[in-house]
Amino acid sequence: MIEALARFIDALRAEDLSVSPAEIVDAGRALDLVGLERRADVRRALSATLAKDHQAALVFDRIFDRFFAPPVFPARGTGEGRVAAAGERPRPGDGERPAPSRAKPKDRVKAQGNASFTPKRPGAELKEILKHGRLRRAKLRPSGEETRDPAHRDLARRMTTEEEREVAREIPRIVHALKLRVSRRLARARAGRPWLRQALRDNLKHGGVPFVIPYRAPKRKNTRVVLLVDVSFSVASASGLFLLMAAEFVELGRRARVLAFVDRPVDATAAVLSWARGSHRSLGAREAAPKSRRRGARPGDGILSQDVSFADILDGLKDLNLEAPSDYGTAFHALSVSRLRPRGRDTVLVVLGDGRTNRFDPLPFALEDLSRGCRAVLWLVPESRSRWGTADSALPHYLASVDLVVEATDLHGLSRGLGELLRRL
Amino acid sequence: MVPPSKITAESITESFAASGFICSPDVATSLFLAENLGKPLLLEGPPGVGKTEIAKLWAAYHASELIRLQCYEGLDEAKALYEWSYGKQMLYAQLLRDKTSEVLAGAADLDSAIAILRDEADGFFSRDFLLPRPLLQAILSPRPVVLLIDEVDRSDEEFEAFLLEVLSDHQVSIPELGTLKAKRPPRVVLTSNDTRELSDALRRRCLYLYVDYPSFADELRIVEARVPGLSVSLTDRMVRFAQSLRKADLKKAPGISEVLDWALALVAVGADGLSASMLRKTLGALLKNREDVERVLADPARYRG
Repeated sequence: MIEALARFIDALRAEDLSVSPAEIVDAGRALDLVGLERRADVRRALSATLAKDHQAALVFDRIFDRFFAPPVFPARGTGEGRVAAAGERPRPGDGERPAPSRAKPKDRVKAQGNASFTPKRPGAELKEILKHGRLRRAKLRPSGEETRDPAHRDLARRMTTEEEREVAREIPRIVHALKLRVSRRLARARAGRPWLRQALRDNLKHGGVPFVIPYRAPKRKNTRVVLLVDVSFSVASASGLFLLMAAEFVELGRRARVLAFVDRPVDATAAVLSWARGSHRSLGAREAAPKSRRRGARPGDGILSQDVSFADILDGLKDLNLEAPSDYGTAFHALSVSRLRPRGRDTVLVVLGDGRTNRFDPLPFALEDLSRGCRAVLWLVPESRSRWGTADSALPHYLASVDLVVEATDLHGLSRGLGELLRRL
Repeated sequence: MVPPSKITAESITESFAASGFICSPDVATSLFLAENLGKPLLLEGPPGVGKTEIAKLWAAYHASELIRLQCYEGLDEAKALYEWSYGKQMLYAQLLRDKTSEVLAGAADLDSAIAILRDEADGFFSRDFLLPRPLLQAILSPRPVVLLIDEVDRSDEEFEAFLLEVLSDHQVSIPELGTLKAKRPPRVVLTSNDTRELSDALRRRCLYLYVDYPSFADELRIVEARVPGLSVSLTDRMVRFAQSLRKADLKKAPGISEVLDWALALVAVGADGLSASMLRKTLGALLKNREDVERVLADPARYRG
């Protein structure tokens, strides 16, 4: 513990935070008092003894998160929810056990940053740790050049307008593949109503003798879908791409509603519906779009439908404050007490977002409340699983209320999440 | 009084909750550490977030006396530490005039009279004529007390330097009496509104905690606990309103105490919603600046949650 503390203090000093020997002694005694079992207590004890003003406390929080490994994210949800395995495809009747992660063990160790780094010299060594930690993480993330297929482009990375266009151009192909997959697989079931037409087709090779009796999945009726999408700066591109894909499968307006949020939900169904259909009359073309409240290139500028960008649609939603910091807790709570609240046993709630809530209170009870009123809650996370629960990500707080979490770091991931939704319709 | 072995962050939280104060884990842990490390706790944060209240409840938790030193510009040792009771000294001198004459009767010349007086006059600078001010009261107290040095950032830097001896060694030096050391060191809580930078020397002697405005959920719990007469939906709306005011660029953002005052005002007028007229009637309890009030009343919808 002493060695770890000494290295941590070197890391603080490397960030120009002055820590006196007396404070180190206090920190050691404080750790002794609170114990090492709970990370939050360790953070509080070290912060009270080592950070002596507000600015220092902010630096401390940053270094603490970087230095001490974040909590290990469970492979399965803590509640009823489970996390979809990487590359998992929707297949009815599949076992519940997720496939093993494709990440190599070596990479997993690298993702832990400096956890296994052996220092040679205190002081300089910590700078090296931090430097190497960043470099290693950077290596794990494929660069734009390495990712030649736009459908595999990392959605967590900030994309230029041109890159967004490239990715959006892949949507028809992905949608087509998904349609084929869904139509083939979702129609069959292991039990249910016998499917006569398919039985004739399947038994032609047996000379018409019905050796195989296919069953048709009972069709659910009147399933309602609520797509709750985070449209803050970091996630807007993923949300735009997802909505463009989802519009091909769900009846927006009739059976499905789109709620966009940054810090509170806003009904965007009509705007997204007309945009996805390419009939957004109020905008028509980019030139006719209302004057943007944001400067420079906006996320979603490259996601076009009939020349109207997703960014224009967002700017046109008058109650949406795109400059507010993301606040999932407030958004969930506001939704749970508003008339937009999804409710009913036939309702599926889909959340798309990274769960990064700027250290605002995550208010997990609000999502739990929403979850209780729905048949299922799916969460699509456009961020690599290794980053879930780190820094200001409140994702672990929400897991217990979610039925399935899908890692949707690229277009294929979004398609996988959409497939999971379609399974539940 | 809680025995030291029984003091835990959980017991602190429970005790504060019994008094209607929602204590965050940060506050509870910091108090627990301050108690066990024997160090002063410096609480910094915007006005109205409950820093002073923490010290009061900390005293209540220990069932000990709270001695408060309110700092201000120009505060000096005489007002913070001790004063000689000149009136009492004069009165005693007058009453003892005859006795003094008797004592001095044997003096042959002026030098011998001064020598006699020098020995006798020490009695006028004893503890009998000392007026202890808050710092000295805390040090001389036979039982451990909670010493609240409130708004230390308002005091001058010289006074801050003077505090160092008190905070680190729990002792003070009085020229006529020597060094007085506390038999039972006080539990010290300092508060600061961050109006000026405190010295590193002072900060190093303390444990530090930044007390920010509460989160939405915490503030909801606070209002529900303190003002039970308010409906759930109105509590939700008023807290949301107050939270959004804090994000706006107001001259004086509302603290928790103002929010509680506002909640009481809403109960008093029998409010069932936050209509414009209701806001006009009660907003004075929440905002304490005319420009802020006018700005909010001009467009209240902007701040509604």
